[in-house]
Amino acid sequence: MKLKTSYIAAAVIAAVAVASPAFLGAYPLNVARSVMTYMALAISWDMLLRSGQISFGIAGLFGLGSYASALAVLRGGMDPFLSIVFAAAFAGVMAFALGFAILRLRAMYFSITTLALMEIFRIVMHNLDDFSGGPEGVVLPEVIFGGNSSALYWLCLGGLLITIGASWFFEKSKMHLALTAIRNDETSARSSGVDIFKYLLIAFVVTSTMQGMMGAIQVQSYGFTTPETAFDGNFTLLPLAMALLGGVHSTIGPMAGAVLLGIASEWLKLQIPYGHLIVYGVIIILVILFMPQGLVGMARRMIRAGREAGAGK
Amino acid sequence: MANKRNAAIVAALITAAVAAILVWRPTVLINGLQSAGLYASIAIPMGLILGIVHIVNLAHGEFLMVAAYATYMLCAATGMDPFLAMAPVAAVTAAFGFVIYKLTIRQALKSPELNQLILTFGIAISLTQVANLLFTSQTRKLSFDYVSASVDIGDLSFGVYKFVYIGIALLMIAGLKLFLTRTTTGKAALAVGQNPKGAAIVGIDVDKTYGLVFALASALVGMMGAVFITSSSIFPAVGSPFTMKSFCLIAMAGIGNIPGILGASVLLGVSENFLKAFRGTRGWADIVFFVLIITVILGRSIKGKKA
Amino acid sequence: MSKLTTTGLTKAFSGLVAVNDVSFNMEEGEILGIIGPNGAGKTTFIHLVSGILMPTSGRIEFKGKDITYAPAHERSRLGIARTYQLIHPLENLKVVENVMIGSVFSRGKSLKEARKAAEAICAELELDRLQRDTAQLSILEIKKMEIARALANEPEVLFLDEVMAGLNSDETKQVIATVQRIARERRMAVGVVEHVMGVIRELTQRVIVLEAGELIAEGPYETVSKNPRVIEAYLGGAA
Ligand SMILES: Nc1ncnc2c1ncn2[C@@H]1O[C@H](COP(=O)(O)OP(=O)(O)OP(=O)(O)O)[C@@H](O)[C@H]1O
Ligand SMILES: [Mg+2]
Repeated sequence: MKLKTSYIAAAVIAAVAVASPAFLGAYPLNVARSVMTYMALAISWDMLLRSGQISFGIAGLFGLGSYASALAVLRGGMDPFLSIVFAAAFAGVMAFALGFAILRLRAMYFSITTLALMEIFRIVMHNLDDFSGGPEGVVLPEVIFGGNSSALYWLCLGGLLITIGASWFFEKSKMHLALTAIRNDETSARSSGVDIFKYLLIAFVVTSTMQGMMGAIQVQSYGFTTPETAFDGNFTLLPLAMALLGGVHSTIGPMAGAVLLGIASEWLKLQIPYGHLIVYGVIIILVILFMPQGLVGMARRMIRAGREAGAGK
Repeated sequence: MANKRNAAIVAALITAAVAAILVWRPTVLINGLQSAGLYASIAIPMGLILGIVHIVNLAHGEFLMVAAYATYMLCAATGMDPFLAMAPVAAVTAAFGFVIYKLTIRQALKSPELNQLILTFGIAISLTQVANLLFTSQTRKLSFDYVSASVDIGDLSFGVYKFVYIGIALLMIAGLKLFLTRTTTGKAALAVGQNPKGAAIVGIDVDKTYGLVFALASALVGMMGAVFITSSSIFPAVGSPFTMKSFCLIAMAGIGNIPGILGASVLLGVSENFLKAFRGTRGWADIVFFVLIITVILGRSIKGKKA
Repeated sequence: MSKLTTTGLTKAFSGLVAVNDVSFNMEEGEILGIIGPNGAGKTTFIHLVSGILMPTSGRIEFKGKDITYAPAHERSRLGIARTYQLIHPLENLKVVENVMIGSVFSRGKSLKEARKAAEAICAELELDRLQRDTAQLSILEIKKMEIARALANEPEVLFLDEVMAGLNSDETKQVIATVQRIARERRMAVGVVEHVMGVIRELTQRVIVLEAGELIAEGPYETVSKNPRVIEAYLGGAA
């Protein structure tokens, strides 16, 4: 019964999301795209976090995807839509190769390494003048789908839905058991037959592919990028804060966090042009100190408490 | 045995490289040492916290930024020299660090390491953004005559002022060594760093020690922040690169090895300036550090596996 | 048939030799006691044969196959399972998921089959209400869950590292009876580490004694317990 209602709710939301361009103007559609991009990044960050590994390098894979897609079109003459697929695959392959070295690291050493890799990607793009356009970045001959705002919206929504689907699969398949076991206790996971490296690698490659894909969608939708925009630290910071606020280790938590913070930050950007990001900093602090389970975790606990109180009567 | 021989070979290679650079491009060494002093004196307080409280403070660079702005305000308002401002600024940042510790980090000491990491990350962003709100992202700079002091040797002319950072780093190393080995409080802090539970059993107040170490480290960062504005312009994000650099240097030296931080800084400073010395590679100088940090971390993880 | 053999197995921790030149073997269907004073190296020995630690030297064979340096998850698939002296529950998974995980990853079962298998194992161990969080379990239930998790690997060789510790005598009896029954039904070789000699006497056909990492005696409990070196080791350990 309960399951059915949540499926119906999901179907309704999906239908509304798909139909939005019919009744939303260009500005709200633009905001929606930005929220969806951050949402996909927040979900993908969380997917890896379920194994206990914290990445500070979301922006790295995102930027790599942006550049792979833009350069494939500019230098390789690839079809823009195909270049998104190519960029996603490229980010995945890079993650696969890097994974062999960095997935043996744990805790802060992993986090710091992902951050350093992001900086390396940025500096490389900055300095490969002839190939990547250097500090000025790259400008594409045209925006994908002729810049049609509905089409751009659907493209971004498509990327988001793929990410949600992957995350949902992670929750419902044996990935869930493997990643949670690795997060809780690697020793005991190994004794139960979990090949830790294999599952970390799968999670890292899949999430990096998603991040690269979103980067590619972003660059094709705006038609240009620079090292500083493609590898903007906010693409790491905002998704992280969104997932934390909503509640980590789930699909729904990062989604809720992205909607709340995404819309709030659009509003704040207009109110306080300088320093509106302080909201993110403060939210991270408050959530870690007082609400480590996030909003969804808190809601779950309240529902459970309510149910137990009801059962007690 | 093999280790000793390796160390000797490495030492010989380094000496040879240094000699070669000295003859070929003396400014590489001079600028390298000067940046090394700056890196080390910023990293040492972070190393103190990491060695004793076992917290990676990702807001370390922002503490520096806060101190720099505090000095800027003080000096701009009163015309005071930043070197004189060191004392009052250190007092302010010590109090600031202590309050931040009490309000936030202390609450997360028992949480998983990742929560601590994210918490200090949040503090870092908040501080940068507060600075953004208060001062906007505009850069600020005070100029002092003594900064441009220079020396001519033959046809080589170079600024000497920044050697002051090497002096500060050496003073910090000596001072901390005295504090940690000669004073009761320092010895207690060292004991807490090595084994907090054991220290608690013999009656050391661990929480008080942590608070004290945080305040002390913040005071040192505060002093550095004051001197920092003499040679750099400041803006809200000015501190953030130093967090990563400091962490890298500490990791290279090995946690708890404070003099080693200076050695690592020299390596980083000289390598960066080496690339900066050539037009073709100038833009790549920034990458040295990130490559170095990954190499160090991976190297340590492989070594850890073997042991 | 010999299931598990070690030859000259040695593990040194920077100077301290925790397991020193231990050669032994375990036969199909036997319950073997592993005893010795605190710090004798029993847990380290289990870590070595289950792949949690890699040996400094020596050789480990499982059914004639060299597994000296095989990773832990591979050994678990081959059929070596163990419990931990320091319990390691996976606290973010339900009880049933804790048990399922071995079926899924060691035996390659689907989630559905694994759930069924886990429920069957838990029923055998009389562990119920499987949808609970591990934090809600009593000590007895935790120990049962640890055994159930090891059994979910469907092992041919099973090591139990002080599973009875912390249980009262009734509970101990209950666990002993279950272990005996399951071992008999499945023809498993079981290695039991226990400090309570009553348990060892009742449960095992053969005992090996470790002291300071060395294997100092081997044989039925009755003979080993009269061995002067063994008595000396225990008295020395107590003094
Ligand atoms: N990771 C390690 N590093 C260093 N020394 C270790 C390590 N693990 C165990 N030891 C040492 O090895 C020796 C054997 O320990 P082990 O835990 O195997 O003994 P045990 O027989 O299981 O003892 P107990 O009956 O108390 O469980 C001890 O001296 C212990 O301190
Ligand atoms: Mg033991």
